Amino acid sequence: MRFIPFAMSLGFLIWVSPVQADSTLTEKHGCSSCHRFSAEASKEPAKTPDLFYAGNKFQKPWLEKFLQSPVVVRKVGTSTDPDFLKQPLTSTPPHPSLTEKEALAMADYLMSLTLPDLSQGTVDDVPLTKGTRVRVKILFERNYGCIACHEGINLAGQARGGISGPSLANAGNRLAADWVFHWLKTPKKFIAKGRMPYFNLDDESAVKLTKYILSLKVGDWK
Amino acid sequence: MTWKNPLKILFCGWLVLQLSGCGDSEKKTDEPPPAAKAAPETSSPPAPKISLVTAKTRETYQWYCSQCHGLKGKGDGVNARLLTVPPRDHTKADYLETRTDQQLFDAIKLGGLAVGRAPCMPSWGHTLDEKMIHSLVRYIRELCECEAF
Ligand code: HEC
Ligand code: HEC
Ligand code: HEC
Repeated sequence: MRFIPFAMSLGFLIWVSPVQADSTLTEKHGCSSCHRFSAEASKEPAKTPDLFYAGNKFQKPWLEKFLQSPVVVRKVGTSTDPDFLKQPLTSTPPHPSLTEKEALAMADYLMSLTLPDLSQGTVDDVPLTKGTRVRVKILFERNYGCIACHEGINLAGQARGGISGPSLANAGNRLAADWVFHWLKTPKKFIAKGRMPYFNLDDESAVKLTKYILSLKVGDWK
Repeated sequence: MTWKNPLKILFCGWLVLQLSGCGDSEKKTDEPPPAAKAAPETSSPPAPKISLVTAKTRETYQWYCSQCHGLKGKGDGVNARLLTVPPRDHTKADYLETRTDQQLFDAIKLGGLAVGRAPCMPSWGHTLDEKMIHSLVRYIRELCECEAF
């Protein structure tokens, strides 16, 4: 019977080692000096986006690309930072970038960071019909005024809208549908105190808005 | 659809105007939309006589409202120049004197669209409690150094 604990500890080693290797990767590249990779890490407000739920939030191909050639999502900085908007913005420093090999390994690691209690399959992948999409676009731009703080895509295919919130102009390539749904329904699961108003959406509206957001894509993004 | 019928074209133009949201910078205007014809649906009993402006009120304003109205309420937040209708300058007495406290309260709680103002003013009724909204109204009265006529 001595064999069982041995096998268990072997299994444990195998299970834990790749993750460990990767979390030292985030230290090696200095990521952990800016980002938090665990929900318990700190109760302080985040000065840069939290990544402990990256596996829920992102589409993997976007991460792989972002880590190699970063793009600006938050034109005026991170809204959870208490100093957000307090000073006129000079320029955002460029995000560190990784080689292709490093980026693929890092994306694997980031996709393993998920919250245990998030339901999946909240949003089916049937796209909005043309008519419904027009109606939801009106919700996004008019009734809820989401566009006042977020970039969307106008008829000419250009990003347009407010910039205090993260750009949603390429959200269809960037964000995972389930995560967007959960963000709209229960933002506190991810951010203790943000600056987006709470809309108290019913499930149906949250699903429709999620599908609309997931339809926003920047044309030449590959 | 063919574009032969001029009425159709007219109709489409009208539709675009009706449906326009608040982010289309193409149609930027400095004019506020006409005031609501119908009385706005009132949401709550009139503001109590005394609601205090505390440090928390100012922090709340700076945390949320400054995104559009600016840190000092001058209507110059980061989103301001990207909106169809500019955010109100909360330091301008000549306009704010024409609005009652109840009207300001309703605009904050229910959002611009619900009270016949521009939709780019979001509703804060699910984010802030009524006590805080009342004290934000008082804070705006401090900023404009004005009261309703
Ligand atoms: C100097 C601080 C800093 C370092 C170091 C840093 N980041 Fe970032 N990171 C940021 C900021 C700020 C943003 C937000 C950028 C934006 O939204 O435009 C960001 C955004 C991201 C995002 C997108 C998050 C989101 O919600 O949009 C990912 C993923 C990311 N970083 C991963 C990494 C990884 C992996 C490393 C290490 C290789 C790293 N970062 C190193 C500051 C940093
Ligand atoms: C007053 C400005 C404001 C309005 C209005 C607003 N948001 Fe936001 N939104 C933000 C900010 C700021 C964040 C970043 C997190 C935070 O601080 O709350 C955010 C975050 C998000 C995110 C997550 C983006 C990411 O990459 O992390 C989504 C999705 C989103 N908002 C969708 C919407 C939708 C849909 C609406 C309309 C129903 C809306 N927002 C209205 C300011 C706003
Ligand atoms: C997303 C941008 C945005 C944010 C954030 C915002 N506002 Fe506004 N607000 C506007 C715009 C635009 C107008 C102008 C509406 C009009 O003139 O039709 C406005 C108008 C107002 C008015 C005048 C309403 C009237 O009767 O004419 C008040 C009062 C007001 N805002 C208070 C606030 C408060 C308090 C907050 C924070 C809790 C806030 N706003 C946050 C965009 C915003």
